[in-house]
Amino acid sequence: MAQVRLQNLGKTYGALSVVRGVDLSIDDGEFVVLLGPSGCGKSTTLRMIAGLETINEGELTINGTRMNDVDPKDRGVAMVFQNYALYPHKTVFDNMAMALKLSHVARPEIQRRVAEVAEMLGLTPYLERKPAALSGGQRQRVAIGRAIVRTPEVFLFDEPLSNLDAKLRVKMRMELQQLHRRLGVTSIYVTHDQVEAMTMADRIVIMDAGEVAQVGTPRDVYDRPANFFVAGFIGSPAMNFLTLRRAGEGWQAEGAALCLPALPFDTGKLDRLTLGIRPEHIEVGDQTTGPWCFDAKVELAELLGADALLNLGVDGVEMLARVNGTAHPERGDSLRVKLPPDLLHAFDPATGGALPRKA
Amino acid sequence: MLKRRPRPILYVLVALSALISFFPIIWLILTSVKTQAGVYAWPPQYWPDPFTAKNYVAIFTKSPELLRSILNSFIVGTGVTVVVLVLGGMAGYALSRLRLRFAGPTMILILAVSMFPPVSLLPAIFQNFLQLGLLNTYAGLIIAHSGLFLPIAVWMLSSYFGTLPIELEEAARMDGMGYLRIFLTVILPLSWPGFVATGLIVFIFSWNEFPLSLVLMTQSAMRTAPVAISLYPGEYSFPWETISTATVLAIIPILAVTAIFQKQIVGGLTAGIGK
Repeated sequence: MAQVRLQNLGKTYGALSVVRGVDLSIDDGEFVVLLGPSGCGKSTTLRMIAGLETINEGELTINGTRMNDVDPKDRGVAMVFQNYALYPHKTVFDNMAMALKLSHVARPEIQRRVAEVAEMLGLTPYLERKPAALSGGQRQRVAIGRAIVRTPEVFLFDEPLSNLDAKLRVKMRMELQQLHRRLGVTSIYVTHDQVEAMTMADRIVIMDAGEVAQVGTPRDVYDRPANFFVAGFIGSPAMNFLTLRRAGEGWQAEGAALCLPALPFDTGKLDRLTLGIRPEHIEVGDQTTGPWCFDAKVELAELLGADALLNLGVDGVEMLARVNGTAHPERGDSLRVKLPPDLLHAFDPATGGALPRKA
Repeated sequence: MLKRRPRPILYVLVALSALISFFPIIWLILTSVKTQAGVYAWPPQYWPDPFTAKNYVAIFTKSPELLRSILNSFIVGTGVTVVVLVLGGMAGYALSRLRLRFAGPTMILILAVSMFPPVSLLPAIFQNFLQLGLLNTYAGLIIAHSGLFLPIAVWMLSSYFGTLPIELEEAARMDGMGYLRIFLTVILPLSWPGFVATGLIVFIFSWNEFPLSLVLMTQSAMRTAPVAISLYPGEYSFPWETISTATVLAIIPILAVTAIFQKQIVGGLTAGIGK
């Protein structure tokens, strides 16, 4: 059981800086997901914690011990790789037992621990097989088992599910959650899949261009994105953004006729801002009138099954709305939409930072 | 799926080019079973008439030096292969995987060294070997050939190591292995096909190498097969049938080695590492 602290962690390759100023304190037993687009530095951060990359700046501590220059095997961490990285010439048993053998654990003890973990993961019938004779899901289980057997202080996962097909991914995701509940080991999980992040994480660390964009619970990052990047990254389909210009008391969309009343944000002296509204928060077909209701025309309707996506033209502004898929409006329909002020987001276009709501 | 149409012209061209490349070998084998009269007959005899095994009998009974030379080549070739695979394997691994600072320039330098024609190195090698007493020894020629063929082995092996997923080594590091242990217990078992292919090429190169073998092995008992065969013609006679027979015998070990190890180049040995 361990607490992991990253203080101002940074990684450079020559003049190229790939990770900068990462500060993060992970509590004992917490499941933290590093989320971000490819190239955002999330894997590099994980690999620095693992000891596979040297740390150029800052400090990494596990349970208060500085780990910057400690050998990977002595950090008390175990890692599950994206492509499993099993030894193809060794049996499942040997794959799982390798770390224990290397740290001179007694043979009966190795047998006992491998058998226990194999039982937990349903791998007992496959212990004598080689990885080539296993399915993708089974291989991933072996990779996870190999990590569990070591009873590490911290689990590190590097996109462990991205090589699996969609169905299996959902199943393994649930298994991993159950496993975490059962073992309670501090876990750091890297993914670019926001569904994985939202469903598994106690806290999500969203990274962008080598820096932390926001740290928060799944609810935090969805309800209160700290900046433009997080707002656009979390949520599918992505949040609608429109640029507004101050027009007297209210605001007008740039290059369009759409006018909005005074916004519930602390806009200060800004005369331009970026407004955000999630597709699922646009209320469609609301007959009530009010300052937040507008006429809209359906330009394209796509049925996804349970939901439908509507491309709307609202006074010259394009917006995507997500509505219930049963009896959704069709292309060409005219309707009323409401942009609920409580569910709007506003960002400073210069800094990208979220504007605070008026008290 | 698209159905493949049979392409007769392609087959004819393939057959033709196969015939052209194999013709010297076919001719060699045919010559080795001709009589001397048959070899010099005019118009040329395409099909041996009569067939004779006399040349083979003659080699085994009258020309022990040719047999000895094949044995010499085998000893040298085996020694060179072992030395080159051990050194080349370690160098190739270090250069391809250990993130050494000057790995790139080192690889280029190794390649550049192998560009020198062996003949240009001969005077220096000869003089040094003379002083060290390495002339006419197996060790001497093995060292010389190893130097000659190490670069290609380093290049081949390092590019083979490059095909193994790096995560495998990272997982091994996380498991607590050092570099030497990773090399011996993870990389080596997975690199058999690369080692076999490289070993075969080095063995064949050593078997065929001529200038160094000619100069460094001056005693007839120490000559390698190519040298011995080339020096076989006497002053007045040019016994093609005997030379052909010796050449056929010299090819057989290479064919045998290739045939044996081809079975060892097991594809799919690395299957199951990743997806």
